[in-house]
Amino acid sequence: MLANVSPKAAEMGLFSFLTNSVIVALCVLGIVFFFSKKATTNMTLVPHKAQNLFEFLVEFLYGRVEGIVGVKQAKLAFPLLGTLFIYILTSNWFGLIPGVGTIGFGHAEGFLTLDPAHLEPLLRPPTADLNATIGLALSSFLVWLFLTIKEVGVWGFIVHTFGPKGGLKGVMGIAVAIVFLFVGVIEIVSIAIRPVTLSIRLFGNIFAGENVLHTMSDLLNNQGPIVSFLGSIALPLPFYFMELLVGLLQAVVFTLLCSVYIQLSTTHDDHGHEEGGDHHH
Amino acid sequence: MLSTMPIIAASKVDEIAGKFGLAWGKFFAQVIIFWIVFMVLKKFAFGPILAMLEQRRQRIADGEAKLEKIARDLAEAEKNAKNLLDKANDDAARLIKEAGDSAKSLAEKRQQEAIHEANQIIAKAREAAQLEHEQLMSQLKREFGRMVADATSRVTGKVLNSDDQSRINQETAAQVSL
Repeated sequence: MLANVSPKAAEMGLFSFLTNSVIVALCVLGIVFFFSKKATTNMTLVPHKAQNLFEFLVEFLYGRVEGIVGVKQAKLAFPLLGTLFIYILTSNWFGLIPGVGTIGFGHAEGFLTLDPAHLEPLLRPPTADLNATIGLALSSFLVWLFLTIKEVGVWGFIVHTFGPKGGLKGVMGIAVAIVFLFVGVIEIVSIAIRPVTLSIRLFGNIFAGENVLHTMSDLLNNQGPIVSFLGSIALPLPFYFMELLVGLLQAVVFTLLCSVYIQLSTTHDDHGHEEGGDHHH
Repeated sequence: MLSTMPIIAASKVDEIAGKFGLAWGKFFAQVIIFWIVFMVLKKFAFGPILAMLEQRRQRIADGEAKLEKIARDLAEAEKNAKNLLDKANDDAARLIKEAGDSAKSLAEKRQQEAIHEANQIIAKAREAAQLEHEQLMSQLKREFGRMVADATSRVTGKVLNSDDQSRINQETAAQVSL
């Protein structure tokens, strides 16, 4: 039963857009700002600790991105892809901090206990809010579109998508052209649903993780106060480790897919790119 | 029936949006925060760190290039030093040989000069000895003449004048040949 966690972010009252996930997004912004400023203040050739950590992270990410999208596109795409990874990872792991998703407002059930069915948590990871994941996916989509048009042009993109491959001529050429026209339509559909798949995949995984943790915490609620207390600590513990992994994995998957999308559409035909393997992960 | 489909679809979308709390305000709030994070990271993290990594990469590349140049220079210097040593060894060997030859030649010259000088000394000594011998012989003859004259005067009891003495001396010297 996934009734413990609401699928929608709770409004905090002041403004309709100010939800618990927006508060966490602002916290993530603060964390990222603090650490990036700390890492890049008084930079030296022999790095200090914070600088060393950020250098490792940036160099590692840049290497991976460069390996997928190529040297030229990496310079343009890396800021977005790096931000996506860091933002999603920080948001996902922020949701695992004790208190996030469990401290909030609702109907009192006992001393310091709220009715889980009506809990409005104070904090909720942005990646467990569909508004945020759709925002991330659409932002990536716009950057993908910009990079693609910049690299191959509008006509190049159309040819790249609908143009027949193989260089056949005559009747076979016409037949192949019709097939590729149809494939192009499928390709356009697959491109159009990319933001949907990206956003729902991320939201679904993190939201499901929250539900798992809540469900495991509440599993022994009716077994007396001591058993309930011990159960709420012991039972979700293994799933915390799993969620750590899932949080990292989802950040990697989202970033990796965006990189692959950019690579597929910015690769020129003469480099041999048949993109059959893309689509629908 | 077809005309009712968009209405059904729209109501479904509204239902899904309501269930998941989708709203433009919340959506834009999230998008704006994400893009602020993007700008913060780009300005404070990616830009400076990539520049620093590039600077470090450049320094390492420069260091490597310098190291290679130093290795090349060292090899060149070693080669030059070896050439210089070889040349110095050759020169030294040649000079020693020349000095040896020169010393040998000088020794021979000095030996010849010494022999020549010794011969000259011997000749001079011989001349001196001959001269001394002749002087002694002349003195002996004169002494012998005087003794003969003295003996003649004693035998004859006659006092010999200077002409007699001179004649006796000459006859005696003529008679005595040593």
